Amino acid sequence: MSVGRAETFDKAVDFATQTIQLSLDDEPRNLNSIKAVDQISIFFIEHVMEGLLRQDERGRIVGGVAERWEIDDRHARFWLRHNAKWSDGKPVTAKDFVFGWRSGVDPANASEYASIMYSVKNAEAINAGKLPVTALGINAIDDYTLEVELEKPTGYFAYLMNFQIFYPVREDFYRAQNGRYFADIKNMIFNGPFKLTEWVHAASFRMEKNETYWNRDQVKLNVINIPYVTNDNLARFNLFKDGKTALEDGMRGIGKEQVTSAVNNRMRIRAYSDGSIWYTEMNHRKERITSNKNLRKAMQAVLDSQEIVNKVIGIPGYIPAYSLFPVWLQGVHKKFRQEYPAQPPVLDVELAKRYMQQAKQELGMETLPPLALLCDDKENAIREAVYFQSLFKRTLGLEIRVDIQTFKQRLEKMQYGEFDMILAGWGPDYNDPMTFADLFASWNENNHGRYNNPEYDAALRQALGTSDPQLRMGAFGKAQQILIDDAAVLPQYERVVSYVQNPKLRGVAFKQTGAVMVLTYARVVE
Amino acid sequence: MTSFTPKPEDFALLAQRPSLHHLQRPSMSYWQDAWRRLRRDPKASVSLYLIIALFMITLFGPLLWRVEPAREDLDVISYPPGLRIPALIVTDPVQWPGVHADPAALVPADPNSTQSLAATTTIRVEGEATTQYVRLTWQPVAGAATYLVYRNDHTPEAAGDLGLPLFQTLSAEELSFEDRLQLKPQDYWYTVIASDGVEEASVVTTMKVPVQRALTVSQARERGLDATPGQIVSLGAHPFGTDTLGRDILARVMQGGRVSLFIGIVAPLLFVFMGTVYGGISGYFGGTIDAVMMRVTDFLVALPFLLFMILFRIAFGIGPGESGIVPMMIALVLLSWENTARLVRGQVLQLREEAYVQAALLLGAKPLYLIFRHMIPNTIGPLLVNLTFSIPMAIFTEAFLSFIGMGVAPPTSSWGSMSNDGIKTMVNTPHELLFPALFISVTVLAFNLLGDGLRDALDSRMRSRE
Repeated sequence: MSVGRAETFDKAVDFATQTIQLSLDDEPRNLNSIKAVDQISIFFIEHVMEGLLRQDERGRIVGGVAERWEIDDRHARFWLRHNAKWSDGKPVTAKDFVFGWRSGVDPANASEYASIMYSVKNAEAINAGKLPVTALGINAIDDYTLEVELEKPTGYFAYLMNFQIFYPVREDFYRAQNGRYFADIKNMIFNGPFKLTEWVHAASFRMEKNETYWNRDQVKLNVINIPYVTNDNLARFNLFKDGKTALEDGMRGIGKEQVTSAVNNRMRIRAYSDGSIWYTEMNHRKERITSNKNLRKAMQAVLDSQEIVNKVIGIPGYIPAYSLFPVWLQGVHKKFRQEYPAQPPVLDVELAKRYMQQAKQELGMETLPPLALLCDDKENAIREAVYFQSLFKRTLGLEIRVDIQTFKQRLEKMQYGEFDMILAGWGPDYNDPMTFADLFASWNENNHGRYNNPEYDAALRQALGTSDPQLRMGAFGKAQQILIDDAAVLPQYERVVSYVQNPKLRGVAFKQTGAVMVLTYARVVE
Repeated sequence: MTSFTPKPEDFALLAQRPSLHHLQRPSMSYWQDAWRRLRRDPKASVSLYLIIALFMITLFGPLLWRVEPAREDLDVISYPPGLRIPALIVTDPVQWPGVHADPAALVPADPNSTQSLAATTTIRVEGEATTQYVRLTWQPVAGAATYLVYRNDHTPEAAGDLGLPLFQTLSAEELSFEDRLQLKPQDYWYTVIASDGVEEASVVTTMKVPVQRALTVSQARERGLDATPGQIVSLGAHPFGTDTLGRDILARVMQGGRVSLFIGIVAPLLFVFMGTVYGGISGYFGGTIDAVMMRVTDFLVALPFLLFMILFRIAFGIGPGESGIVPMMIALVLLSWENTARLVRGQVLQLREEAYVQAALLLGAKPLYLIFRHMIPNTIGPLLVNLTFSIPMAIFTEAFLSFIGMGVAPPTSSWGSMSNDGIKTMVNTPHELLFPALFISVTVLAFNLLGDGLRDALDSRMRSRE
């Protein structure tokens, strides 16, 4: 039995050749780093390309193409290493970054992530078509020195350098592809730790170690083989179980049934935080009764995140949330939440009833109309919604109508404000509290409930106006407290993603921004 | 030719003889006879009693089993069928700050170290381990950056056999964890692994913790149990167990039965009636009218039910989170009568040509008389059979639509929606699927068998075969 298992496991990982095998659930939609948005494209780009800076296996920022850098309120300067090379042997120069960044904000390219570049001077105006791309605040002083002008102080600018839209694009190569840049193997050029050497559309992929990569000695894996592409989660889990693949994370976590199956098969289950926070968003538009603060406070006083996480959802590893800002966010010296703790709200049904009474008086209603609670058609979301329905009815006498929609439909309804409450979540785009805080700024299109609090906006402006970490974190601390006092949003949990991994594969890291698996530091042990 | 005049003596009484064969059957109406034959068919009569029992359960059950079907009890989630759940009363928990080490006293993680970390040696349970919480603390390990906590429901058998990944500490200072994740009264094996952020300790320690079911004083009070800490109380019984939100499945099955049987009875009654009237008219008048009317039914057969169901939902302004039962009924009634209509038309066409109908017509009977005296009584047999077979069809349709989320709105249950919920946890807690599915199957089977029996019983031609 044990012999048989060892044999099958050898297919998933091979020590001698440092080869691993994986499966994917879909094709990458667009491998062009300027236009990539989906998780799978980002997974590939993360391995075959490299930006100015990158994250090490512990998530710290380290030099990538740049070996030295300086960032202040208005400027950023990068000194590129001379040994960083493209896969055809030519050096990676500052001009490649200039071209890449200009392409990113070029309205002709219509990149969905262009807005993430708005902290670079003139980026927003260029993207709106008001200025030519050459006005972008990036300048190659020489081949190996890059000077960036910032639109506004951006405390998290170093983290952004690890975002694919900031990666280099070589102009001569790009132009030679006639719009087919990265559309197929022959249209690709790499500067990252791996090369994509095989791509049979919708069937298989193969990545090999890039021998021209400057840091190739640190890369242990020689081959990442991806011979399976199927969107059937169970089939991919079974591939892992049969020893055909080295890691299975179901793209967003293996399901409850697979977790049980893994426990029963005596497998080691691992988990990583995908960085996302899940909450009940409220509709603050005037015509909705959820715009009443006392009503929201009443709900806040009966909502127990502990109970939701442990009893209702029941997936191991989820963290009960009391703040919009997840616990993993870095503060000045320690974690942000260690420096600015968020107190769990006081759970008190009597207090909630008093809030409720006040709300009814202010709204001038004897009984409140039923509230529409919008949620996804996923098992967990529905269970949570039904729990809310019974909880609010029992404690507050408040009727809830559960509006179950597909993910796409839910986003559409959120956009049009057709809800009283939504069970929603947000994953970080970069490693800074701003990626979450921004959600409730009055100027943000993603502020679906149209929360508008001048004090909150002021706190955010303060954080946006400086790159001094102390001031910025202080401002976020204030913003956090305003949201809690206002019961503007009711946080429920921080999500974790469960996965299974071959015991011989070590050193796999996960990037919280984008929840992308990083195999650059991985190796196969004997 | 001689004439014969009878004389009185010709009429003498014969001696009375006992009757040799008293050939008399009790006079029986058609219905009495059908009933008798139905009773003699064991399958049909058992089904009939089953159906009566189902009606009684769904109608009067909730009066006896007074458990609110939407009431959630998060202390008994996915509990298997059981009559008595004992629980220990404990004092209300005070918030636990946990155990934090002094950062200065810790040996920090060394990113360049190649040495494997030591195992976390002492895991302790703080306080009592109950289903309310299990509080674990451990000693710091030199060089650790984080700790991982696992919980297993069986003795670890292999190196990676650790169970569920419960928690990972954010820093090396955290030396405790409070587990509250769906704790059941059983033995658990907890493992704490030290990690330097990338590499884990190669040796791990596992500790067995027996967990006892417990209720806090305030939770007990909420349930109307007056108890003091240390006392053992019994939680409400759940003969069919509970679902993933701790709702009583028996109560939900009874509530769901009302929805399912309501749809199952009312919709067929309505569309069978519609079909009878339509088919009767079509068959009686015949000719062009018949041809036109039958083409309309042909057209109706081609209409997709699900599409119309969705259209009706929109047309009726059924908002999100509202019950879709009304549009479902209307769609069922409007789109399902064509079968009955064809059946009745065929019968009426046939009966119209029967000699006794022709005779009645000659004697001046009016159409209404003909329809009520001759046509309807003679089609009622096949009609009843049609009705009994329509009922399971309607129940199935409701179950299917609720299963795909177009039927009842939460928290109302129906057998279909309960099956839909239950199927997701089928492997771990099969009872959540078993009971609603069983009720659907039994009901549909019973109606089918009853229909079979009725067909035999009501068919007078079957009589001659006895």
